[in-house]
Order: sequence, then C-alpha cells, then structure tokens
Amino acid sequence: MTSSTPANAPLAFDRPVANATSQKMAGKLMIAAGSIIFVATLAFQILYASGVIESGFDTWLPVLYAYALWAASIIFGQVLVRGERGSRATFVLPAVFFTVALVVFPTIFGFYIAFTSWNLSSDAGRVFNGWDNLRALWNDPFFWNALGNMLYYGLMVLVEYAVAFGLAMILNSEIRARRFFRIVFLLPFMLSPVAVSWMVGKSIMENRFGPMARLARLLGWERPAFFSDPWIARLSIEVMDAWVFIPLMIILLLAGLQALPKEVLEASKVDGATPWQAFWRIIFPLMLPVSITTIIIRIIFKLKLADIVINVTAGGPGGATDTVSSFIYREYRDRSNVGYGTALAEFYLIAIIIFITVLLIAGRRLARRYGALPAVAES
Amino acid sequence: MKLELYNRLMQMQASRRALLKGAAGAGAVAAFGSAGALGPLSPLTGKALAQDNLRAEILKIPGVGKGSPTDADWQKVGELCLGGTKETVKEGEFAGVELTFMGLNNQNLHNLLFRGFLKPWETYTGAKINWIDLAQADYNPRLQQSIATGTVDFDIIEMGAPFEGDTAGKGLLDEMPDWVKTLIDMDDYVNYLKPPVGTWDGKTYRITIDGDCHTFAYRTDYFGEGSISGMTDAPTTWDEVDEVTKKVKGQSDPLTGLDAYGFLDPLKGWGGFGFYFLEDRATAYAKHPDDPAWLFDPDTMKPRVNNPAFVRAIQDVMDLIAADVYPPDQINADPGTTAFQQFLAGTGSMICWWGDVGSNARTSDSSVIGDVVGFSINPGSKQVYNAKTSEWETPATPNFAPNMAYLGWGIYVTNRVSGDEKKRKAAWSAAAHLGGKDLSLWCAAYPSGFQPYRNSHFNIEEWVEAGYDSDFISDYLGSESESYNHPNAAIEPRIPGIFQYYSIAEDELAKGFAGQYKSAQETADAIAAAWEKITDEIGRENQIKLYKASLGM
Amino acid sequence: MTSYTSTLDSTPVHHGSRRAAFMATRVLIYGVLIFWAFICLFPIYWTFTTALKEAPDVMQGHLVPLVDFTPSWKGLRSLGLSPDTIFETSTVREEFLKRFTNSLWASLGGSFLALALGSLAGYGLARFPYRFGPMKNDDIGFFFISQLILPPVVLAMPFLVLYKELALLDSLPGLILVYTLMVLPIVIWIMRDQFHTIPVELEEAAFVDGLSIWGTFLRIVLPIALPGMVAAFILALVLSWNEYFFAALLTGANVQTLPVMVASQTGSQGISWWSMAALSAAAILPLIIVGILLERYIVQGLSTGAVK
Repeated sequence: MTSSTPANAPLAFDRPVANATSQKMAGKLMIAAGSIIFVATLAFQILYASGVIESGFDTWLPVLYAYALWAASIIFGQVLVRGERGSRATFVLPAVFFTVALVVFPTIFGFYIAFTSWNLSSDAGRVFNGWDNLRALWNDPFFWNALGNMLYYGLMVLVEYAVAFGLAMILNSEIRARRFFRIVFLLPFMLSPVAVSWMVGKSIMENRFGPMARLARLLGWERPAFFSDPWIARLSIEVMDAWVFIPLMIILLLAGLQALPKEVLEASKVDGATPWQAFWRIIFPLMLPVSITTIIIRIIFKLKLADIVINVTAGGPGGATDTVSSFIYREYRDRSNVGYGTALAEFYLIAIIIFITVLLIAGRRLARRYGALPAVAES
Repeated sequence: MKLELYNRLMQMQASRRALLKGAAGAGAVAAFGSAGALGPLSPLTGKALAQDNLRAEILKIPGVGKGSPTDADWQKVGELCLGGTKETVKEGEFAGVELTFMGLNNQNLHNLLFRGFLKPWETYTGAKINWIDLAQADYNPRLQQSIATGTVDFDIIEMGAPFEGDTAGKGLLDEMPDWVKTLIDMDDYVNYLKPPVGTWDGKTYRITIDGDCHTFAYRTDYFGEGSISGMTDAPTTWDEVDEVTKKVKGQSDPLTGLDAYGFLDPLKGWGGFGFYFLEDRATAYAKHPDDPAWLFDPDTMKPRVNNPAFVRAIQDVMDLIAADVYPPDQINADPGTTAFQQFLAGTGSMICWWGDVGSNARTSDSSVIGDVVGFSINPGSKQVYNAKTSEWETPATPNFAPNMAYLGWGIYVTNRVSGDEKKRKAAWSAAAHLGGKDLSLWCAAYPSGFQPYRNSHFNIEEWVEAGYDSDFISDYLGSESESYNHPNAAIEPRIPGIFQYYSIAEDELAKGFAGQYKSAQETADAIAAAWEKITDEIGRENQIKLYKASLGM
Repeated sequence: MTSYTSTLDSTPVHHGSRRAAFMATRVLIYGVLIFWAFICLFPIYWTFTTALKEAPDVMQGHLVPLVDFTPSWKGLRSLGLSPDTIFETSTVREEFLKRFTNSLWASLGGSFLALALGSLAGYGLARFPYRFGPMKNDDIGFFFISQLILPPVVLAMPFLVLYKELALLDSLPGLILVYTLMVLPIVIWIMRDQFHTIPVELEEAAFVDGLSIWGTFLRIVLPIALPGMVAAFILALVLSWNEYFFAALLTGANVQTLPVMVASQTGSQGISWWSMAALSAAAILPLIIVGILLERYIVQGLSTGAVK
C-alpha cells in the first residue's frame, strides 16, 4: 500500500487543537486494530490461496472489506490523534484509498504481463520473456506508424481549440436565443462514440447515398470516398472525433470567459483599443490558464481515441488512421496476444505520462508568466 | 394465426409419435401427397402428416415476401416447435433453474431469435434464461479471455466449430447426452457436418444449428444476351470473374441505373472474418484434390499462405485495385458491407458469401435484388498449385474447391452444469429446442443468420409451398448442396487460435492492399512470418497434432 | 475572426457606416451560430429519423419523414416499443429495458460516488497543503489525473483477473466502482478549480464563528459550489453512460449496458439501420433531457468565480 503514511501530512495554518491524551490513544488503537485486521485477513487469504492452509474465503472480497475497514480506521483514527489537522486530511484520503485499492493490483499485474509472452490460446499460459516484447515493439513499424498518427491527431487539437474558442466567444456575446444555442452546441458530446461511428461514419458519410456524399457530389466531387485516401480518411476520423469533443471545449472555455473580471474588459474599451487588439492583449492572455486546462484535458481524451477508428476504418487504409489505442486493441483483442499488447500499452502509458507532465509544467510556466488566474490552470 | 388452427396443430404435434408408430402415418401421407417429401435431394420419405403440416405451417410465419419476421413471429415458431421438449420434459420440470446463454447479437438476429424461440420453452419448463449478447467482433476475445482467466460465466454458448479446439480441447464442454442425440436427429446432418466436426476425442459436444460454406452469388441481369457483361452465362472461374469485373466498369447497373460493378472483394478485415474472402479466391488455386491440407503443411505447420497459389490470389485482388474497378471506398468495405450494404442493395454484381445471402435476397427488408440473383459454387481455376511438387498443374477441367468457411454455428453446453443433473438436462433441453429439426427449417428459410445444414432442408417442395419461387430455390439450394458434398471441399482446420491467424492475416492484407508492402509476395510473406510466430506461441507440436486430426489425417 | 466580431458587439455605435458594419457582423454571427447548430443537430436528426426508416429509405438516403419517405415503426418494433407491440409480450423490449436500467444505475451510481469522493478531494487539494511522503498537492493531483490518462486496454486483463478474484464480475457494484474510478479524475479536476474560486474569507469567518472544518465545508462551501458539482456530475454521467470498453469486458448476463447493446447491433450480417438508430436515439434521449434541464448549471457551475 503506497500511501500508508498519511499520518505525516502536516497542515499549514491555524491552531492545531491539541487533543486529550486519551483521545490520541483511542485513535492510535483504532488505527492499530484496523491495520491488524487488514494484515491478518490479507495474510490469511494469501496463505490459503497459495495452498499453505486448508480453509479460507472463496473469493478475495473479504480482503476488500478489510481494506475498507482499514481505510476507515486510518481516516477516523488520525482525526482523533491529530485533531483539526487530521480533519483536513479526511477530505483527500477517501479518494486516495479508493483509487489505490482499484489501481494498485492492475498496475503491478499489468507491468508483470508486459514482460511475458501470453497468448490466450497457448497451453503454456504466461511465460516470462524479459525484454522480448520491447524489442518487438522497437521493430514494429506499424506501432510507430500509429504513434506518428497520434502526433497528427494531437496537433489537430489546436484547430479544435480555435474553433471552440471562437464559438465560445460568440456564445458569450450579446445574442438572442443564447440558451437554445448553448444546449444545441452541447448535444454532440452526449452521443456515444459507437453510435457516432455508425450513424455518422457509416451512414452520413456513406459514399453512395449518405448526405455528405450527396453534398460532395453537388459541390463537384464526382466519386466521393471519405476513407480511401490516407489523408482524407485521417481527416474524416478527426472530424468525427472533433464533432464529439468540441462541445466539451466550448463549455470549458465559455466558463472561463464568463469568469473574466468585467472591469478589465471595460477598461480595455476605454483604452480605445480595437477589438482585435483587445482580444490579443487582454482576453487571450487572461484566458490562457483556462485554455491550457482545456487543451490538456482534450489532449488526454484524444490520446485515448479508439472507438471511432475501430468501428469505422479498423485503422485503414493501410494503417493511415490507426491510433495507438486502436492498434493495441487489435493486437490485444482480435489476436489474444495479451503479453505484447500490454507491453505496447504500458510503453504508451509511460510515454504519455512523460508527455503530459512536460505539458503541465510548460503550461504552468506559461500561465505564471502572464500571471493571470493561476487557480484554474494549476494542473 | 387462428386460434383453433393453432390448437389443432398443438394436438397433432403432441401425438406425432403415436402417428409415426402407427400405420396411420403412412396412410396419411398417401392420402395427402401434396405435403409429402418427394424431391430428389430429400431423404425424407413417409413422414407423418402432423409434422409435415407443422413444417408447412411454420414456413408461413410470417410468409415469404412479407418482410423480415419479428419477435412475435419468433415466439410463434418457438411455440409451435415445442413438441420435442414436451416429449422429453414435464411441464414446469425446470422451475427454479437459471441458465446463462452467451451468443451473438448479429444484425438483431441470433440471440434475438433464440430469445423468441426459447420464450415459450421457458414458460413451459419453468426455467429462466439470462442472456449475454455480444457483437461479433467481441466474440472471440470475450471467449478467449473467459477461458484464459477462468471466468467462464455461461452455461450454454452459441459457438462456431473453429473454436472447438479452444473449448472442447480444454475440457470446458459438457458431453451430449444420448437422449438429445435422438431428439435432434443427428443423422439428418449433411455429411461434412457429421463427426469429426462437433466431436473431440470421440465425444459429441455440438448441436448444429447452421451449416457454413461460401457460395458464389451473382446478378442474373448482368449476364445473358445483350447484357452489359457481354457474357451469356455467369463466370465459373476466377479469370472470368476478374474479366467481367473489368469489363462492366463504366457501364450502368441494369437494375438500379447507378454505376455497374463486378465482383466485390471486401478489402477491409473484420475480426478475422475478412480472411475467408481471400480464401475464396485462393482455394481454387491452392486446394489440390490429392491433398487435404491447404493452409499449412501438415507435418511442420509451415504456412502455405505465401506459396504461389495464395500469392496469385492476392495479386488478382491487387490487379483489380490497380485497375480501379471497385466501388469508391471499397478499401474501407468490410465483409458485412459488401454483402448487405452493397450486393443486396444493388451495388456490384458478384460476391462470395455464406448461404444466408440467398434467403436474405428474398426475405430481407434490405434487399432489392430478390428477382435477379443466381447462385453457384465458388469459382474455380484452370490451374491448381501442387504444394508437394511445388508446381502448377493444369487439370482437364477447372479445379473447384468450395470454401467451407466457419463450419457453421452450433449450440454447446459448458461443464458448469455437469455437476447438477437438473440444470444439465435443462441446458441440453434448451439447446435441443434451438437445434430442432423443424425449427431449423424455419431458420434456413427466413433471415436468421443461419443456412441449411440438414438433408431435410433440401426438400424443394417445402420451400415452394412456403412461397419461394421454384427456380430460385433450386438454384440456391443446389449451390449449397453441391458445395457441401463437393469432393474437393476446403475444410477449415479446427485448431486453437485459428482466429488469431485470420486476424493478423486480414490486417496484413489490408496493409498490402493499401500499398504498404511492395508486392503480393511481400504481403504474403508478412502473413506467413506472423503465422509462424503464432504457431510458436501456441505450441507447434500440439498444433501439428490437432491440424492433422481436423483434416482426418 | 469570430472573436473579433464578438467583442465588437458591445462597442458603442454612432455613425451610419458603423451601423452597416454592425449589421454585417450581426449577420455573420448569426450565420456562424446557425451553421454550427446545423452541424450539431444534423447527425442527431439523422439518427432519430433513421429510426423511422425502412431499408430502401436508408439506402436512398431520404431526408425528411412524411415528405420523401413514409415513416415506419420498424425501428421501434425492434425494441418492442412500437404501437403494435408495446402491449404484447416482447423479448426484445424486456432485454432493452433491462439494459437501460443497468445503464441508468451504473452511470448514476458511478457519477454520484465520484462526485462525493471528488468534491472532498477537490476541496482538500484546493485548501490545505498536504505532504504524503514526497508527494505534495500538485503530485497528489497528478496522481489522480494520471488515472485519467490510462488507456483502458492497459487495464483490461488485470481488471478481469482482479474482478474475478473479488467476485465483482458481472455485478452492478463492480461496474459502479470502475466507472467511479474512470470519472473521478475529471471530477476532482473540476471541483478543485471550483473551490479555488470560492473566496477563502468566507470560511475563515465561519471558522472564527466556531464551526469545525467539516461544518464549514458542509454548511458554507458546499452550497456555493453546488452549480460546479452539477457540472461535474453531468460530465461524469455522460462519460459513464456512454462507456463501452469496460461494460463489454466486465459484464455478462446481468448488468450488460446500453452501449454494449448498441455495439452488438453490428455483425457479419451487416446492420439494421432502423434498430441501430432507434437504440442510439433511446440512448441519447435521457442525456438530452438532462442537458436541457441542467444546461445552465454547467457553464455557470464551471465559472462560479464570475458570480462572487
């Protein structure tokens, strides 16, 4: 359990009320009791599972209950021990315990699988194979192709951002039927990617009778085909994904725009700046923190793009629209090649964690330089 | 249906046995010859009136040309076909039993039909069935994951024979009790579906509900005097198919008036199933009559997919792509698209597909080509490659090798019920209901996702009685029957992980078709290399053993 | 471009030429608005109308019901919801309603749990400096966000094994837990920003008045942050309502959800457009209603800072 030392958390300001010694004792006892029960249950079940002892629980569910009890004992216990300061820790601890409980095993097990050869049809099951998977990854041109595509999809976020920003500005201005437009602009976000793949990708963009194809013919494209040419296919996928997620960006940016202090905007007008100047000198810098948050959230979702690609093109033509997720998905699910698939996924995970970290730090620097509304931008 | 008629049918159904035993049965057939089974293909002689009436009756639900059947129709058919269940199970016998059924939801068929069919069964027996519906693309992974992690959570499963290696081979299935074998009349199966298919180590596991092979469907209005192809008859070899495909380019379709197209190759894969369509072309070149093996060398599991025969098939497709004779966006067309969105909708004139495209052409809502579709076995080739001598041979007549793709769906019972006799009987009873002889006729005749698989399905009169056009149905059933009984049929190997091989193959093919590899040979080599890797991962020795067994070697 | 025009709106207008320019920008703005509304609505319109089409209507790409095609109940019949089937026993309707209920409970459960955990964590991270070992607030925040980054395929196999051992496979609590995990990062992210924008003086005053930290949080802070919570809740709801991967992986007969049903419409027999469309429409309808009812909270909630 990685976060077993929450009791260290020092709290910054204000008079920590010194608790009575008896209360401290009770708290310590509580934590100790919770820990003992949890460790005992865990040990008991491990012994049973490994065949050392005869009786035990059918499933590991009791261990989960013991874990919950232990978490509760720590949360309440440290309040008793540390009083006011302990109370503050109770805010963040439940989420920490929850997340740790659900991800600690999958993470460790996932990394283990990444170093095995595990084909689900194989009688041998999992076989440790060291760095073989990573070597295979290094030599897999189609994985790198998919990673290259991610670069393109990632860059398209900037275009989506520009569109979303523009629309948010309009929604923020004096317009009629504003509420109607806001609701309408939000709707695409609510359609599931699977439904989008079929209703848009395979119906509206169908090359014979789909409305898009008919429009294209009307505009002089004689044999419209949205998924044959690599670049057009990539663009088609991007358009569908953007259609779903631009609403989310509009909401976040609109919220940011509405939070801008009115006085500053008034001041800019008095200044006599043209609207164009006012935008670049005042609104854009003030919006930078929100923009960075928006872009990062969007990039995170973009990095997981898979459903639409899987359903509409299966990565084709020839891998042109493949995303890393859809590539892994085929390796993992269609070919039951769990070892290699997981290795790819873990590699990708580490790559994007590094990427996002860099992005966050850069974003924070950028926001700090403009010194505006730092609250919203902090990671 | 009128109530009194229905009730009478139910009584007749219940007394079917009595009728069969007594002389009354034979007399009845003599008296009402119209319902008799006299077709040349049919082994049925002297069936009881009641059953014939039942068969005729269910074929009228909802009636050919009345659009796709609905849930209400499925329930009606299920109700009418409960006879076998009533013979073997007492009313309410399975009260309190809950079973889980895993199957597909395929274009709202499969599981949706099963639910309708089994609803009256549930009412009668008192059992309850819970359903796991899967998208077909999720089917293989879900099954493999359940097996590998020990999370098999279904008692009855709809499964294709190719997965028998993964399930029966690992001892996950329950052996079929003898009473079920009698009930479903397994002797009625067409030959290629009889054991070893459905069995493993001599034990029977499968209730067949579908027979699968690819046949060649074509538009009759593209051929004949003055047709746009200029050919009098539909092509019978791949050379001719490709020639027509190039020829009709730029002309307009006689039915829809839109652009005319020739053969439709699905150029995008789909959960492994896409590879079957390359096989359709390749078997003609690769399946030598003297050699049962055609995908791998049986002694070494060395892939044959990069031998000259397969490379030629890939090259054929690449030539057509280069000639730009496919519909736009064909590179993004998966198998389902080519058959159901294109062929049935009037785009393209030739296709290889499972038999259900035939029944769909007439009874599906999506079809516009019901009156202009013809069938034959898959095209052949003037030359055939002999893998043993590594040489092309030119036989006196073209080489035909129908592709027995997928071997059909079956219903299996898992060993989760083995310990509980009541549950076990319930599971098998439900499975047998779905695999019943009469019910299967209905499935073969209507959009169900299943095609004929019993000798008794090839009784043309029954189909005509149901409203099918005689010429159409003779043509359709003839192509099926000829493929099933073909001496040089290419039988699919039932080895573990077979869909892994297909999946990587269709992926590499898609890359090849998109020009990511330099040549057909290079594409084929990439597939072969990937296959070797899979064989090593799964275990070569074992694969060799199972491959040989599945070929009957 | 659009930003230019939108700020121009509020500039005072005096002269005729200015007036013309003003009119031009108005036209442009409403042009853009209507164009984008069309882009947003057309696919949804297409989905709803396709649910009323027969195959030939789909194949010919007909657009307007009653005008160029006759609506049919086919799509709704495939769900057992058409007028002629709605009072009959229908296996398809039973199945649909079961899926629908599962989706409802799983997404509501996951969203509420995530909202509860996320609001607490968001408040803690916004107000108090923590130090768990080497980890400070930013690192804890990043720890949560990193859970959002995880591509679901990484977790597939491990989760299957974990859930099997915990006997959580194919159970509603299991699905709720995984949805909570999935949307928790975004909830924490939003809620922390929320609490940042609430002036700290309010709490200090309450604190001086003798309220405990928890009392302050529950009685003073939470009511102010309510719109933000609604916003976070809606995002969580949408994401978990449409979740497909884990629903397909971790469920069996009991708790399969609507997106799994939508996806399983496809297969080697192509697709029944009308039923796919009817299902998609049925799946989006509850969210549209939620959107219409709660839309104003979303933006207002995300920008509480403006109303201080």
